[in-house]
Amino acid sequence: MNGAEVILEDVSKFYGDVLGVNRVSLRIPPGITSLVGPNGSGKTTLMNLMAGLIHPDRGSIRVRGIPPQEPERLMRITGYATQYDAAPRGMTGFEFISSLLALHGHSRARAAELASQSLQRVGLGEAAHRKVAGYSKGMRQRVRLAQALAHDPEVLILDEPLNGLDPLVRAETIEMFRGEAQRGRHVILSSHVLQEVDIISDQVILIANGMIAAEGQIRSVREEMREHPAQFLVRAKDASGVASVLFKEDHVTEVRLSEDRQGLLVHTRSREAFSAALTRIALNGHPIESVAPADESVDALYKYLIGGESS
Amino acid sequence: MTPLRLRQGVTLAWLEARRAFLSRRSLWVYLLALFPAFVFFMHGLNVKIQKDRLSARGVVSAALVDSVREGESEGEVIARLGKPASDFAFDRRAKRNRALVRRVEYFDGSRRVTLTFSNGVLESRRVRTIVNLDEDRAVFAMVFQNFYLRLAVFFGCLGIFVNLFRGKMMDKTLHFWLLAPLRREVLLGGKYLAGLLAASVIFGLGALLSYRIMLWQQQPSELLAFWQRHGPEHAFSYTAAAVLACVGYGSVFLATGLLLRNPIIPAAVLLLWEGANPFLPPMLQKLSVIYYVQALCPVVPPPDPDMPAILQLLFSPANPPSKLVAVAGLLLVTAVVLWLAARAVRKLEINYSTD
Repeated sequence: MNGAEVILEDVSKFYGDVLGVNRVSLRIPPGITSLVGPNGSGKTTLMNLMAGLIHPDRGSIRVRGIPPQEPERLMRITGYATQYDAAPRGMTGFEFISSLLALHGHSRARAAELASQSLQRVGLGEAAHRKVAGYSKGMRQRVRLAQALAHDPEVLILDEPLNGLDPLVRAETIEMFRGEAQRGRHVILSSHVLQEVDIISDQVILIANGMIAAEGQIRSVREEMREHPAQFLVRAKDASGVASVLFKEDHVTEVRLSEDRQGLLVHTRSREAFSAALTRIALNGHPIESVAPADESVDALYKYLIGGESS
Repeated sequence: MTPLRLRQGVTLAWLEARRAFLSRRSLWVYLLALFPAFVFFMHGLNVKIQKDRLSARGVVSAALVDSVREGESEGEVIARLGKPASDFAFDRRAKRNRALVRRVEYFDGSRRVTLTFSNGVLESRRVRTIVNLDEDRAVFAMVFQNFYLRLAVFFGCLGIFVNLFRGKMMDKTLHFWLLAPLRREVLLGGKYLAGLLAASVIFGLGALLSYRIMLWQQQPSELLAFWQRHGPEHAFSYTAAAVLACVGYGSVFLATGLLLRNPIIPAAVLLLWEGANPFLPPMLQKLSVIYYVQALCPVVPPPDPDMPAILQLLFSPANPPSKLVAVAGLLLVTAVVLWLAARAVRKLEINYSTD
């Protein structure tokens, strides 16, 4: 399996005194893997490390068995769409992609054929012979995607690939990722739009402050959450009374009263004990209008794990 | 070097060279390369205008012009040489003496002879050559070494070669090259080749064109004799010197663009170093590109007569190496610089935010 995985072992990267990523160890199997984290969390650093655009200060990386120090081999099986919104000046989309394909050793005719196919795949067939400088942001995003896909790589690394795409193209692009994953390919993408991650990922890696906060299949990450304190939103007319009773419970770590004084945000270390306590409170004459988990969504999980912004 | 790597390097060189030739940024490189050609063209044009103007008023034979001696009478000379191309008379008063001065000009096809008569007697005879091959060759040597090599090729290479890495870093497009399945050394080699191709063609042809234009208005007989003796060799030597300067400066600026974030300061230091070359101790003179390139130039330019005395004292150009040693020395310096650049390119990282 090692040969078919992307493996990072104890990888650290610093930019001078600034931390990029710290002691990251990951094994990424084929399929769609999402790196999720707020801006500056280290997602792009991880992707650049995998593609060999930067070098780790410590640790080692293998992309399907190939170290990034061997770009000659690595870039034959890897396609990377960076988030840098730039393309060589004065080139059309077609020229840009076919010229890069020529560096793979393809003949001019074959490079032209592959470039056309790739541009068609991302819906830029008609704009292929227009200058990239005249493309919209979404088109520039797609031409970078086309460049990453053009040589049919086994590992696709895509930094915020859905940014700037309209809903229809976004849906088509996601479908394309799924197709690649079904072919046994790696699709490693970064996003901070959590709903997208939830929908398309086979596995998710949550990253914050350059460190991995959680990783695994999206379901298992949720399970992991169960072992951590939970949050509940409680609505009750006598919210202050409920709060005072809950405060006495050992498993409750924090209670916050809402501004209208009819709602509570409760942090508890035990879902079961919290449930039993609520039953007791209700039976003791404090009517409870509703109880809802505040951290059931991925968004809440994300907020909990990395304590940062979610968009 | 495998055939694939070779093909990759050539493909990359071609892609980059096309951009170097055709980009708007290269416009000033062309201007630098063509500036001497423009200067010599204007000089040639001036010569042609003078020749045409004087010829229209009559050409006398060189032998007749040379036969004129000071002390001859105005009448004798005019009768022998015929109607002058220009004729001007005036009164000259010096202290209490008064003289009628007549100044006439003749043209023998290449020389402009001014005869000044005072009270009917030839007082002075001044000969000015409108076009002089030896003089023009010396001027060309001076322009070539002091402007073309030291400034035009220097700054042209700075623009072309620094742009290959640092410029792409600024454009945030360098990563596209690193995402191709290329060894970093092939990337470096391809880019160097691209820069060299562009710079050599632009400055090599610029040198050749300037040289051809310098010869444009020379006397046909003199030109033919020169061309049969040294012409092609000199033209080749100047072109080769320009190309070799591109080889040397190109490698330095490629490495500078890779190693340093701001190449302007090292470029200024290098410019100073190259400019101060003949004033440095002989050993240090050898650590420069200009020392080797100058050795290939066929004509040694005359020293600047306006040079301050203190600089004249310090001016001590080292003995030039033989052409073979010059080429080998320059290639050796280039190889060392490219080796350092190869080490740097292996460690190159994309970090646009800090560039």
